[in-house]
Amino acid sequence: MKHERMRQAADTEREPAACMSRREFLLTGGLAASIVALGALPGLAGAATGLYALRAEYPRLRVGSISTLKEGIAHTFDYPYPGVTNILAKLGTPAGGGIGTGNDIVAFNTLCTHLGGDLSKAYKPEHQLLGPCPRHLTTFDLTRHGMVVTGHATESLPQIVLEAGGDDIYAVGVMGLIYGFAGNLQG
Amino acid sequence: MPLPPGDAEMLTTACDYCAVACGYRVYRWPVGRQGGPRAAENALGLDFPLRNDDPARPMPWVSPAQHNVVTYRGRAHHVIVIADWEARAVNLRGNHSMRGGTLAQKCYNPQTATRERLTQPMIRVNGKLTPVSWDLALDAMAHISKHVLAEHGEHAWAVKAYSYQYFENTYAITKLALTGIGTPAFAPHDKCANTNDATGLDDAGIDSFSASFEDWGACDVLLMSGVDPFVTKTTLFTGWIMRGANPHKKLIFVTPHKTMGVAWGLKQGGLWLPIVPGTDTILHNALARIIIENGWQDQEFIDRWIASTWEVDSGYGRGTRNTGWQWRTTWGAWQSDWPDYRKFILAQDEHKLENAARITGLRAEDIYRCAELIARPRSDGSRPKSSFMLEKGNYWSNNYMNSASFAALGLICGAGNRPGRVISRGGGHQRGMVNAGGASGWLSPEKYPGRRKKALNLDRWLMDGKLRFAWVFGTTWVSAMAGSAALRGAIERLTRENPHQITSLDRGALFETLSQRVDSGGMVLVDSDIYPVEPLGTQFADILLPAATWGEEDFSRCNSERRLRLYSKFYDAPGEAKPDWWAVQAFARKMGYGAHYGWKTGSDVFEEAARFSRGTVLDYAGLVAEAKKRGVPGHELLRSLGTTGIQTPIRVSDGQLAGTKRLHDPENQWGPTESTDLRRPFLYAFNTHSGKALLLKSPWRFPGWIEFYQAIRPRPEKGEIWVTNGRVDETWQSGFDDCRKPFTAGRGPHPLIFVNPADAAPQGIESGDRVLVRNDAVYVQTGMPQGVLETDLGFDSLLRNGHIRVTQAEFEAIAIVTADIREGVAKANFNFPGAAANSVVHAVPDPLTNNYRYKLGRGVLIRLGESPHKRSFSVLTLKPRAVI
Repeated sequence: MKHERMRQAADTEREPAACMSRREFLLTGGLAASIVALGALPGLAGAATGLYALRAEYPRLRVGSISTLKEGIAHTFDYPYPGVTNILAKLGTPAGGGIGTGNDIVAFNTLCTHLGGDLSKAYKPEHQLLGPCPRHLTTFDLTRHGMVVTGHATESLPQIVLEAGGDDIYAVGVMGLIYGFAGNLQG
Repeated sequence: MPLPPGDAEMLTTACDYCAVACGYRVYRWPVGRQGGPRAAENALGLDFPLRNDDPARPMPWVSPAQHNVVTYRGRAHHVIVIADWEARAVNLRGNHSMRGGTLAQKCYNPQTATRERLTQPMIRVNGKLTPVSWDLALDAMAHISKHVLAEHGEHAWAVKAYSYQYFENTYAITKLALTGIGTPAFAPHDKCANTNDATGLDDAGIDSFSASFEDWGACDVLLMSGVDPFVTKTTLFTGWIMRGANPHKKLIFVTPHKTMGVAWGLKQGGLWLPIVPGTDTILHNALARIIIENGWQDQEFIDRWIASTWEVDSGYGRGTRNTGWQWRTTWGAWQSDWPDYRKFILAQDEHKLENAARITGLRAEDIYRCAELIARPRSDGSRPKSSFMLEKGNYWSNNYMNSASFAALGLICGAGNRPGRVISRGGGHQRGMVNAGGASGWLSPEKYPGRRKKALNLDRWLMDGKLRFAWVFGTTWVSAMAGSAALRGAIERLTRENPHQITSLDRGALFETLSQRVDSGGMVLVDSDIYPVEPLGTQFADILLPAATWGEEDFSRCNSERRLRLYSKFYDAPGEAKPDWWAVQAFARKMGYGAHYGWKTGSDVFEEAARFSRGTVLDYAGLVAEAKKRGVPGHELLRSLGTTGIQTPIRVSDGQLAGTKRLHDPENQWGPTESTDLRRPFLYAFNTHSGKALLLKSPWRFPGWIEFYQAIRPRPEKGEIWVTNGRVDETWQSGFDDCRKPFTAGRGPHPLIFVNPADAAPQGIESGDRVLVRNDAVYVQTGMPQGVLETDLGFDSLLRNGHIRVTQAEFEAIAIVTADIREGVAKANFNFPGAAANSVVHAVPDPLTNNYRYKLGRGVLIRLGESPHKRSFSVLTLKPRAVI
């Protein structure tokens, strides 16, 4: 596990406030994790510019194979701890953090970041959404790092960071805080 | 996430935003330590990670957006702000919206974008905002105010203020404006005049907030007009409407936009009526006709609770023929009792199902199905418990007629004063107004036909150049109003374009410049706010005053079920920011009104204001009397009630404070009073002189409506469509906090416009494209016409007499193309900074009420190109929002 700072998209003009305060949490919390800037948002003077997520890294775990994944069918797997359920899906359209030749294979945690509802059966392949949550109807966009489409969650849906190794799909980390945890590294 | 250690302090508050006002807890502890994940190690008393295997079990998870670092007593403190998971009212089991769920991020922290808070008074010198002392800013205000009052009169001295930002502030502001200065030039945030909201409800005798959340939960059928509470009153929907005593209720939505709540309602067997904007009155009356033709009305209720002809005329205590609708000089066209209403409903051609379907753009079978759901008795003769909720989509399309016809429809279905059978607003802002009264409204130069005074339209008064001084409190006066481009231009002419601009902070020179400004026809503008608001604060105001807000002072107010709570101070206001009541008091002393403005604390204001709440639906005088008896400040007694608070009106019963669940309910006959409360008949009967509700007729061809409607409809030859506006759930009001909260800003708050594919295709518009909306004929009423003849204030007469100016306006938004919006209607999110959707709305108010018809904009859509977010993976999701 290591500290790192990573930017996946366009640079920002200045370091957003979100980053500062979250890094502060991390430092005070002593977590081995990092802040990931997911994009840039020009035009909003004074506002944070883009989606940021807390990324924690864990040992690699094989969670599936590219050749057996089919669009429209989501698989579940536990990561990074037993009982923490995620879905693995081939969206059929490029997605942020997607792997595979189409950059469309993604994985997300299935606990709603509003009040912990179970999203494992709420995959909507036609729109690449997870939701609405059966409890209060929050819905997340799987093409955009689990961003809330509509509803009440105050965090994006945690995205499981994937890597391809040949035909194998490995989970290597978590972006975002999983519902119920005080820190992703605190079991 | 830092967890609060066991000795962290806990305070209660309620959400700052929507009318529901969920209860929250604030945990606060000094930076430098934190609690641990074991239950014994943290103040929450819970083991982390939490395991949420029981949906009914409260789960106070703390998300990163619920933490911040603030300054308290000069020292850095952690705070977490989380929904009260043990709440006994409002948001049970810790439910919350994404707005309230991110409250912690609204707190001032110089490490975040909240660093843009106003922290000291400023005066614009040579065009640049320059920090000054409170003393100098207030001296300048008092000097120019005295000059304006002496030379130009109290009509030239105005206040434009929020109506909701806490009792302490609204009381102080209205005391100053309406009593101290005594000006009629006063208007609350969302209205151009100091007038009613859902006026038709008021005239029917129904208080807009008579219902309790329990009622919305207990009904069998809920008709919601012009609102999806999922978006705008979130926990009311997810907590009470989806659940409540009857989770199997049928939901009917009347709105052109299918949002998530609508989609969920349809899945439960409900109904979506995607109405053509502005035609709700026809729908209501057509539903009444179906009900009456089939004999489905609640005759027993009507016989007991609907006023007879004689009772209608028995007035407001000002003599006969002086009830609300008569005051609005509708000359008898609206008066009705049950037999007359029935006759009217059956006689009008527009109310026939096929005609109504054509005008409203709805399917006849859907209208019929709606009537069945709300009124048809079951085979055993029992009636469905139907409730009726309206909001801005209803009464900001056609203020008087939509709300009056809606009230009548609900009444004949037996709703209005019983458990699960209510007629109320859903609510927009919380109920934070205690009006200090004063009779200055009588000074208004506006007049209905006849002799009756009408509240002054402040926008028009300004545009006509009548104002010399205006003090704005916490409101986006320009973009929140209709015809906002014209209003903006007028304010700019009166302030920044006036030749007399401040060039020096020398008192003499400063005072002289301001005097020259107003004597040359210009206006001095003061803006009290927490941020520099665009454009008032950033461009036009001469003086900016920094306000202390939620969390920075103890404040009080009610939510939309009249539930009064204390909003605790838990950290230091930034810099020299002060609560608005303090600024008002300091100004009043400079004006020489000092003897009447001697408050030392917010609780002092709260206690004084209690007297003015007596006899109103927000009556909390009983609580203050009890506090005095116990020798504690009013705020402290209220604080002891935590997130539960108490529903007003408050009385003392068996020595205990007792609240009021529902208004107009005959069960509220409580017998002799034990405290200082004034027992008003509206507690146990309708709010009319007779205690019986009035049925109003709402004729579609009423000239005050139909002339306007015909003039402002989209012009097909120009390719125009309706451009209405409303909230999206992630943006509260003008986005003043959302743009600065890291989580919310990270989602990319943007001005959006929802467009049907059929309207988008001809322009080549796709989701994520930038779209310009242009209306080249925005009507703006000018002059101060006084009605003499009955039709003087109708649109055609105004146009003929030169009181309608034709202006142009446009705004830009990012398209979301979706079949969820009715074809021929686009919806932009309301009051977004820099993209005023209201600019394409006509500033010609309802002549019956002086309220704008904000939802009836129009325009052409022009594709400008792709936004940078069309193909981004990280900002601004463009997905459909009602997939279920």
